[in-house]
Amino acid sequence: MEILKPAMAGTLESSDAQVTVEPGSDGIQLTLSSSVMNQYGRQIKATVLETLKRLEVTNAQVTVVDKGALDCTLKARVECAVFRSCGQSQANIPWGGAVR
Amino acid sequence: MAYTLSEIRPDDKRGHTKLRALLEGEGITLDGNLDYTCGLFDEDYQLVATGSTFGCTLRCFAVDHRHRGEGLLNQVVSHLMERQTERGIFHQFVYTKCRSTKFFQDLGFYEIARVEDTLSFLENRRGGFSSFCQKLERDRRPGKSGAIVMNANPFTLGHLSLVERAADECDTVHLFVLSEEQSLVPFPVRWKLVQEGVAHLSNVICHPSGPYMISSATFPSYFLKDEQAVITGHAKLDLALFGPIAQALGIQVRYVGEEPRSLVTGLYNQIMAQELPKAGIQYVELPRLQAGGQPISASAVRQAIHDGRLETLRDQLPQTTWDFFHSSQAQPVIDAIRSSAEVIHY
Repeated sequence: MEILKPAMAGTLESSDAQVTVEPGSDGIQLTLSSSVMNQYGRQIKATVLETLKRLEVTNAQVTVVDKGALDCTLKARVECAVFRSCGQSQANIPWGGAVR
Repeated sequence: MAYTLSEIRPDDKRGHTKLRALLEGEGITLDGNLDYTCGLFDEDYQLVATGSTFGCTLRCFAVDHRHRGEGLLNQVVSHLMERQTERGIFHQFVYTKCRSTKFFQDLGFYEIARVEDTLSFLENRRGGFSSFCQKLERDRRPGKSGAIVMNANPFTLGHLSLVERAADECDTVHLFVLSEEQSLVPFPVRWKLVQEGVAHLSNVICHPSGPYMISSATFPSYFLKDEQAVITGHAKLDLALFGPIAQALGIQVRYVGEEPRSLVTGLYNQIMAQELPKAGIQYVELPRLQAGGQPISASAVRQAIHDGRLETLRDQLPQTTWDFFHSSQAQPVIDAIRSSAEVIHY
């Protein structure tokens, strides 16, 4: 999926994460900040990248401000941001899959 | 406890009374420039936290001290960021007291500059400011470089003479035009008039100021105690931002027009005269160009347009600006100036 316009999903509340995706041209550039960076930084990064890969996003600037979100929350926020960024959030959301 | 988040509209008197009381209790005042305000209410409809936006900035945050530590600021900031995103504003800024900086850093904001003991300025992009400076560096030229910052609201012969003098004395002049939309003359028009007005000077490079040069019209005042502190804080923040920009472009001199009329700009210039040499930048203040015994000023030009005396401006405007105001394109701008109650800065 191609990121067409900037989009955001999620909040900054505890146990959530705020994910912003913006169009990019140079692969995936991930900026991650987390309240549990020392404990889970690597896992958060892996989850975000894996979700993007599954959605077939190859070029994007991604910003994640994590407040201790579980993996499932992170995945949902990333998916939602990506769907919103390519105008797919209105109808036929292919949860868990990629938009083709 | 369950909280309800809702907008506080400008016409909501009851909401605004609560808002004022909350802000007062936390030692800040309501900023004059706000375009959206939200509040978090508890079960008894008591206001416990608030935050507002103006343009690309988030401002006027307060949390009732009895409710600190509940993560209420996070909810308010999340809501405001989401709203800004819906409005298409992705690059967001925050002004806050120095001691609140760390709360915003936890929310994904990065500090751009700070004025010790006064305020801190943050953005939601890591390295936003440094990449802005890096881009500017492409326009760096060898030799003596000068800088001018202007609002050019609109571009007058006074502005032109300042630029010409700088272009004469320097190898390169970097001319920054404030790109914030807080002037009666909209940015695309101001930008066009400046570019056309200096087209004959080959060593002048025009730059839109971007979000990192702040006009006094949008500088927040709510947490500073008096007007003097506001102007000083604004000037110091501007200078803190100008330092890295000057470094990127190799600027050695900053040219400024003398300010006999506007109190704000006068004090601002005074602070610049003190602080710039400390950063190794020469400060040059030039007297205003006169026309008919009066110094030329953009506010006087706006006043004349406001009063319908466009024809008296022949000796105050460069040909390009003159032509623009006599074209049909200028009509919306003239209408805006005419219908505006206040055209002069205090």
